[in-house]
Amino acid sequence: MTDTHGAGAARDPGRDEGTTGAGPLSAETGAAGPEHHPEIDWVAAERSPEFRELVRKRRSFVVPCTIFFLVWYFGFIVLAGYAPDFMGREFLVDGLTVGYVLALSQFVMVWGLSAWYLRRADREFDPLAERAAARAREAGDRPRRFRRDGETAADPGRVAPQ
Amino acid sequence: MTYLAADVNELALSIFGVVVAITLIVTYFASKRVASATDFWAAGRGLTGVQNGFAIAGDYMSAASFLGIAGLIFLFGFDGFLYSVGFLVAFLTVLFLLGERMRNSGKYTIADVLSFRMNERPARAAAALGTLSVAGFYLIAQMVGAGVLINALVGIGFELAVILTGAFMIIYIVAGGMLATSWVQIIKAVLLMSATIVLSLFVLGKVGWNPIDLFTEARAQSPEGDAYLKPGLFLASPIDTVSLGLGLVLGTAGLPHILMRFFTVPDAKAARSSVMWAVILIGGFYVMTTCLGFGARAILGEGATEAVGTGGNLAAPLLAEEVGGGAGTFGGDLFLAIIAAVAFATILAVVAGLVISASGAVAHDVWSNVIRHGRDSEREEVWVAKIAAVSIGAIAIAIAVIGGSGLNVSFMVGLAFAVAASAIFPALLLALVWRSFNTSGAVTGVLVGVFSSIALVIISPTVWPGPDSEGGALGFYDLANPGIVSIPLGFIGCWLGTMLARETKAERTFDELYVRSETGLGAEAGTGLTLTGRRDAAKESAAVTATIPHP
Repeated sequence: MTDTHGAGAARDPGRDEGTTGAGPLSAETGAAGPEHHPEIDWVAAERSPEFRELVRKRRSFVVPCTIFFLVWYFGFIVLAGYAPDFMGREFLVDGLTVGYVLALSQFVMVWGLSAWYLRRADREFDPLAERAAARAREAGDRPRRFRRDGETAADPGRVAPQ
Repeated sequence: MTYLAADVNELALSIFGVVVAITLIVTYFASKRVASATDFWAAGRGLTGVQNGFAIAGDYMSAASFLGIAGLIFLFGFDGFLYSVGFLVAFLTVLFLLGERMRNSGKYTIADVLSFRMNERPARAAAALGTLSVAGFYLIAQMVGAGVLINALVGIGFELAVILTGAFMIIYIVAGGMLATSWVQIIKAVLLMSATIVLSLFVLGKVGWNPIDLFTEARAQSPEGDAYLKPGLFLASPIDTVSLGLGLVLGTAGLPHILMRFFTVPDAKAARSSVMWAVILIGGFYVMTTCLGFGARAILGEGATEAVGTGGNLAAPLLAEEVGGGAGTFGGDLFLAIIAAVAFATILAVVAGLVISASGAVAHDVWSNVIRHGRDSEREEVWVAKIAAVSIGAIAIAIAVIGGSGLNVSFMVGLAFAVAASAIFPALLLALVWRSFNTSGAVTGVLVGVFSSIALVIISPTVWPGPDSEGGALGFYDLANPGIVSIPLGFIGCWLGTMLARETKAERTFDELYVRSETGLGAEAGTGLTLTGRRDAAKESAAVTATIPHP
């Protein structure tokens, strides 16, 4: 665990001028875009080992799965386009073609990969995401004690006195 | 169309009436509970994964799926089933790349995510352009389709059918916003699945419960013989087939009305479980298109080719009539009437989803944030949304009525998917994962995606010179599906625009969007509204404290 949030812990890393449309207005009106949270040190959150672990683990699952499903699907499509006779060949019994069996395999792939991803996400990625979020929240809470009375972290205009 | 009398089918009309009455009652109750903008756009973010899964299925499976694919399989065999596969596999793109991230990052519209770290006004305007193009093309296609089908199935005139469809969709949205829309979509998904299961069982019963016999019988009934079970009857050009597949698989992940549904659940966990439920339903449905399509060929035979219409859209209703007992019998009439009512409910649910996403682009993106700089009240925003929904509905009705039933709608659905895949998907994905991506890249990417798709569809041989032409207007380009060219162009546009301008703010805010999209920290909270009631407010505020850091 490295202590990366030092100098700019309370600063809004994204918007010094607070012009992205959210800011203090959005809390009152609700018509602006998603609310930004400058009270969190997002740069430190992105560098935290918890977040890095989450991204690494999720990526090492999602990237191979995405490549696999794209290859399996486009393999099927390319065969359908360029090898119609192969796709029309009877398979095991009369009437059942290779093409139809491969098409059904796409359905099985979608259900299987989805269920597998859900399992991994519920058991592994969610707890990691919670830990990364908790870590970022703690870091965001820290500088509060340096603030004058009456200032709140939720007021982005005053979080980082320039 | 000898099977379908030109005069009004009273049985179908009364079943229509029952379905519409149920949706209107649900809308009435929903209208009393929608209090805030978050309730209106996102149903208070209180839907469960199961509920949203049904709603996604209801939002996604259009009449083109239900009637169109059954018809394509009836006419061209295996090639029709290729569409079924593509429409389902697309959800893996949504699950792996966008679903949860949309929930964590966004508020009401996809522009919220795209413009999160950009210069708000140009990025939002670009996203709104993408949303309105996709929703507009898709909406007009659905409205014309609705008019043609209701005219054929129920016997009421084309214009009246279009106006009725538009009127109901406007009522749902103006009165009940996303809450009513979700209800309509869930009801439709239940109706569509039930009808398809029953119909499939009857079809399987007819061929002696052996699904393989569907294929052998269908082949025997087709003049094409063996070729009927092979690819190539409908999609003759291999490169075009690949291009179609690319457009389907990436286009779904760029459909604004589907992505918007992820704002209606409380968290990322519910977002991914809604995709799981959606693929169970949608996958189950598309597997059953085997029974509808090959079954229609096996049972109706070559003799019905003329009766199913040019696109084969009436294959499923005629099949229902046949397995119910045949034309003129009570069972046949009842089955036909039920299928007609289900087709109508299907169209209503899809157009309602399209119009609410389009009204989001007009009210939340263009009006509130481009014109009013985010300074208008929530109340004003919802009012503008309702006015926008009425206007968009009225414009769609007008175009459909003026264009008439002869309007070529199949290319419009293709165009909607092409724009979604080439303009919206690249920009959204890069905004979430590429640190250097900036406003100039997003605007360039969306513009290149939208206009290259439209231009390529216009010069495609089916549109110009015309459907029956050999080759395109421009000799070197003859693709009917632009995806394989326009999607890379969209990505190149994003990259080129990014390289042309330097924007430090977009890079610095990346960390916030990145951490937020992956962990849900700072994600927008719900209002406590649920599909059927309202959660305890105290419990809700406790949940809010848990996600948003508190002073």
